Amino acid sequence: MAETKRKTNRAPAKRNKKGKDNKWNKGPHLPNSLKKELDSLNPRDISDEEMQSDDDIDVYEYEEKVPDEELKKNRSIGLMDDEDVASDDEDGEDEGKKGASDEDDEDGDEDDGGDDDDDEKHARMLQDITGLPGDAFDGKKKKNNDVVFEAYPESEYNPSRDVLDGDGRITIDDLLNPLHGKSGFSKIRKDVQRIDKKSKSVLPPLPKPQQEKIDRKSTYVYSKKKLTEYEPLVKKNREAPTIFFDEDIDVGYSTVGAIASEFRPRTEFEKKMDLLINAKELSDAHKSDGARLLELNKVSAEDVKERQDRLAKMRSLLFRHELKSKRVKHIKSKTYRRLLKKDKSKAGSIDTEMDPEAAKELAEKQEFKRAEERMTLKHKNTSKWAKRIKKRGFDVQDDGTRAAISEQLQQHALLTRKRNSMHDGETSSDDSMDDDDEDISGDEDDASKLKLLEKGKKRTLEVLEEDDDVPKSGLLSLPFMVRGQKKKKEAADEEARLALEEFDSSLKQLEGDDDVKNKNIGSLGGRKVFGAQKKQVSQSKIKVNNKDNYFDNSDSEDDGDITEDVKDKHDRINTQKDVTIDTNILREESEVGHDPLFKVSFDDISKDSGPKIEYDVSLVHTNTSKKKRDNKKHSNRVESGKKAKVMKPEVVEPAAKVMKSKVAEPASNKDVDIEHGDDDSDTDGEIRMVDGVITSGTDYELPSQDDLIKRAFAGDEVEDDFEKAKQEVLNEEIPEPEKPVLLPGWGQWTRIQKKRGLPSWMLAEHERAKKKRDEELKKRPDSHLKHVIISQKLDKKAEKLQTKVLPYPFKSKEHFEQSNRMPLGPEFNPATTIGLLNRPEVVKKPGVSIKPIKLKK
Amino acid sequence: MRVKVISRSADEFTRERSNDLQRVSRNYDPNLRTQEKAVEYVRALNAAKLDKVFARPFIGAMDGHIDAISCMAKNPSHLKGVFSGSMDGDIRLWDIASRKTVCQYPGHQGAVRGLTVSTDGRILVSCGSDCTVRLWRVPLASGIESDDSSDSSDKSLASYVWKNAFLAVDHQWEGNLFATAGAQVDIWDHNRSQPVNSFKWGNDTVISVRFNPGEPNIFATSGSDRTIAVYDLRSSSPAIKVEMRTKTNSIAWNPMEPMNFTAANENCNCYSYDARNLKEAKCVHKDHVSAVMDIDYSPTGREFVTGSYDRTVRIFQYNGGHSREIYHTKRMQRVFCVKFSCDASYVISGSDDTNLRLWKAKASEQLGVILPRERKKHEYMEAVKNRYKHLPEVKRILRHRHLPKPIYKASALRRTMTDSEKRKEDRRRAHSAPGSMPKTSVRKNRIVQEIE
Repeated sequence: MAETKRKTNRAPAKRNKKGKDNKWNKGPHLPNSLKKELDSLNPRDISDEEMQSDDDIDVYEYEEKVPDEELKKNRSIGLMDDEDVASDDEDGEDEGKKGASDEDDEDGDEDDGGDDDDDEKHARMLQDITGLPGDAFDGKKKKNNDVVFEAYPESEYNPSRDVLDGDGRITIDDLLNPLHGKSGFSKIRKDVQRIDKKSKSVLPPLPKPQQEKIDRKSTYVYSKKKLTEYEPLVKKNREAPTIFFDEDIDVGYSTVGAIASEFRPRTEFEKKMDLLINAKELSDAHKSDGARLLELNKVSAEDVKERQDRLAKMRSLLFRHELKSKRVKHIKSKTYRRLLKKDKSKAGSIDTEMDPEAAKELAEKQEFKRAEERMTLKHKNTSKWAKRIKKRGFDVQDDGTRAAISEQLQQHALLTRKRNSMHDGETSSDDSMDDDDEDISGDEDDASKLKLLEKGKKRTLEVLEEDDDVPKSGLLSLPFMVRGQKKKKEAADEEARLALEEFDSSLKQLEGDDDVKNKNIGSLGGRKVFGAQKKQVSQSKIKVNNKDNYFDNSDSEDDGDITEDVKDKHDRINTQKDVTIDTNILREESEVGHDPLFKVSFDDISKDSGPKIEYDVSLVHTNTSKKKRDNKKHSNRVESGKKAKVMKPEVVEPAAKVMKSKVAEPASNKDVDIEHGDDDSDTDGEIRMVDGVITSGTDYELPSQDDLIKRAFAGDEVEDDFEKAKQEVLNEEIPEPEKPVLLPGWGQWTRIQKKRGLPSWMLAEHERAKKKRDEELKKRPDSHLKHVIISQKLDKKAEKLQTKVLPYPFKSKEHFEQSNRMPLGPEFNPATTIGLLNRPEVVKKPGVSIKPIKLKK
Repeated sequence: MRVKVISRSADEFTRERSNDLQRVSRNYDPNLRTQEKAVEYVRALNAAKLDKVFARPFIGAMDGHIDAISCMAKNPSHLKGVFSGSMDGDIRLWDIASRKTVCQYPGHQGAVRGLTVSTDGRILVSCGSDCTVRLWRVPLASGIESDDSSDSSDKSLASYVWKNAFLAVDHQWEGNLFATAGAQVDIWDHNRSQPVNSFKWGNDTVISVRFNPGEPNIFATSGSDRTIAVYDLRSSSPAIKVEMRTKTNSIAWNPMEPMNFTAANENCNCYSYDARNLKEAKCVHKDHVSAVMDIDYSPTGREFVTGSYDRTVRIFQYNGGHSREIYHTKRMQRVFCVKFSCDASYVISGSDDTNLRLWKAKASEQLGVILPRERKKHEYMEAVKNRYKHLPEVKRILRHRHLPKPIYKASALRRTMTDSEKRKEDRRRAHSAPGSMPKTSVRKNRIVQEIE
């Protein structure tokens, strides 16, 4: 028994070395003779030494002389141990091979006791699998097989050295053994065996870096998968025209009720109220049928009585007061009323002194009274009574009446004075107004106005007379400044003169009807002002005209020019009237005839005259300016004859078409005429008249159709015109090179220059330029097209409305244009679509933090 | 005789209040308005000009630190709160609305290199070169107005000393974890004094770390070995790494597109990657003339802001190759950190000159309450501008930016350099056997390899 134990104990010791060594456990149990036989049968390259050592051990083992049967039994257990160990050690080691070998072992153990065969097979198999020589597996066998004798017999009280070292591990078999023979042992054993069989083989661990790499790979695959889950959501967000980040925000309370429910009493009063309102009894009563509310409503009898008394007292007081006021109201005594009023006013005056509110009221009342006085003139002896007294005469009256009347007048004076004094207070800044005129009457008013007017007149006169002196030096003496000043002064003078006139007229009016009442003067003043305004308007018109003149004549032309222009104009009018008269004669005549008149009229203008003449001037002015324009145009045309026609080659002037005689005339003349026709209908009419005279002179015969057409298009050189126009365009776009010009005396003496002519390089350059131009002309797309002009000129204004390249996200031109087709503005779209069209890409609210994306499941 | 008249019901055209708008009825027949395009073009032009007129992006500077600002963090739960850490170990909480320091967190011995706030806004995590990770309590939003810079004991929650200096920290979105970067990447829990996990891949220092806000278990780091690495917390192992030719200083994930992130590179460019395919960048964002130091995405995911060593802050579209906006002031020095505010309407930059600067994200945006009509008008102007932005005149006005002279010159120089490089390569290609020098795209040629 002890021996068997030792065997079992030895097995774990070996196990500890290395998994592979376990397979060689069975070695010692082979009888030598058998082994030799086996070796001879299937020779291996296990070294003899190894074998020898094995033999040694075997020999030693054999010395024990363990019966075969027992050995077998033990061995099977030992093997079981090995398997267990193998399965224990699985983790983290090279499992595949070992597992396989273990299974093999098991099989061997199961079926029979042919151990030797088994061992051999096992060895071979190992060799096959690993490809290593057999001795590789024997390596540490020697060491493992050391057996140390125990000093004491082994028992649970004397644990073996292995156990003491802590190396010994308890296997399942160790645990199972004691159960041997008990009920259920075989079942457990079978289970254990089955589990062992089923246990899968595990690969040996890879080297660490490799292992980590694999881990990372799997991790990456996993996280990639996780990240890909977001893809549809992200894609949706990216493709959405707008993403919203202002959704589901808790802004706070939305209703009054919600706010009220959150109310917490803070102050003493609020707390008290809260205590009363939310008293438990009350709320309970409310919750139940409410009958108890009446009970809670109970008031003490004393309280009720007190309240009733108070109410009764108040009521009686009110009643008495009512009675009293009724009685007072019925009193008719005037004295009483007067006294009452006095009392009241006294109280009022005290009041006014006391508080500003009352004072304000009083002032208002006074104001009202004054207004009433002004309206009714109650105290101005207008009453029936006063009139009668007036009629009868003051002297006849008794003292009382006189006193009454004087009092009344005084009252009136008082009221009006009050107003005046107030008025003065308001316009105290006006120095012309005098405060000292105590007597207030319409006449006085007139007088003051007179004075005022006179003063104004004087002032204006002063202004008119002064500052005729022009500064001799400095900035103001510069010619244009002087001119400007002059202009300004003229304007000012004009104004002053007007004002003067106004003053005069008003003065006259004032003097004319002196005894007009206040009211009348007021109204008259209004009318007067209106008249003055009218005049001012006309005046301003004149001024404007003057200005215009000024600007037109800015090229150092004086006012005298205008008169000349006027003359010209008259000349022309005359020519229009009768064509046969020689213009020169007419000019002289008109000069003689109209000059004085116009001079006079112009003087009148400068001296301020009626609107009619002014109108005349303006007319003259516009005409003259037109004339000037004509002149300018004429000169322009002389310079660049055909330019005007180039613009529109196909449009032929109607006048030119019709009139043959005109066509025959030289080009410049014709142009002028046409221009005249455009500008001035009068002159056009003249031409026609001339034509009419000519046609009417000949015998009239109805021409044939062909003839008519021929005649109609006789002078029509459309093709020529077009060619000319094209040439014009070409010249403009690709200008002809300038001809070489010889500067006399430049670079050489003139005589030498004359002799030699132009230097050759100049000519060469000119030639080159010409050639270049020809080439460019040939390159033009319209070079071979006779009837077409294709302008190569770029429109710079249109250029800025176009992109040079297709913008980035767009794939085609059509796509881009399509995207821009619909306007966005509120003028072009109804309000329902405007928001959609203009919505920005990201809608967010400032002050609301945005949370990162979350996957919705 | 019948007379045709326009009949309108009085009810429809009567205003309820005197300040109501008059109802306008329009005929939308396009034949009546033939000049619509011209009209809108002019409006676009005017809008573009007005944009320039109203472009006043700088709101104010926040002064208070006494050393360069190295890092910032925004409070995800409180819009006004921004934290900044400086090189002298000072951490401050700023109230952006009043642009004042609310409180300070003294404690760090060396430079503060990383700051981050938990998603609930309660805990501030800081780390620095003094090898400590510190957790601080953030004052509540209600009490943020009161300035109590007194004792730090009630603010400091914990302080963990670790083996190496830290360079960056970032907090997971809606989680308990945060990651620090230094010699390795450590994952910490709020309640543990030691990292719950740590990742080491290669021997080089990790410079920056950023969690993916959309997918909170994934984060990316950049290292001094010029790599960008993606990690997954669920499998406790790194996922992938890509090596570039130059170092990446910072990374930002797109909060609306969890698969995409943008890396701020040392070579003046930013590279947008799809984390699922790191073989080539999705987009290269060029414009800076010096190393890009920090990057942060707008919460809308449509644009991001970068701060550069060239003293400018730029705003890019998430898919745009060039910047939409450049911000600079005379006094702003090297920008070390930038943040987009949580409502996507402000940008905050922290720079070497010890100041934080607050900018508008849209330079010409009108701040304050905007009435509906006003908003509609703005929207219309924006739409018109957007439509006609390709036309030369409008484009010119919209693109025009004033640049500081050094940056203008540097960009010109860079342009000439790239041009000459390209010329050289073209010539080489022309003189070598056809097919022997394949063209590599800009999106690829800065990537050395993808490491699995």
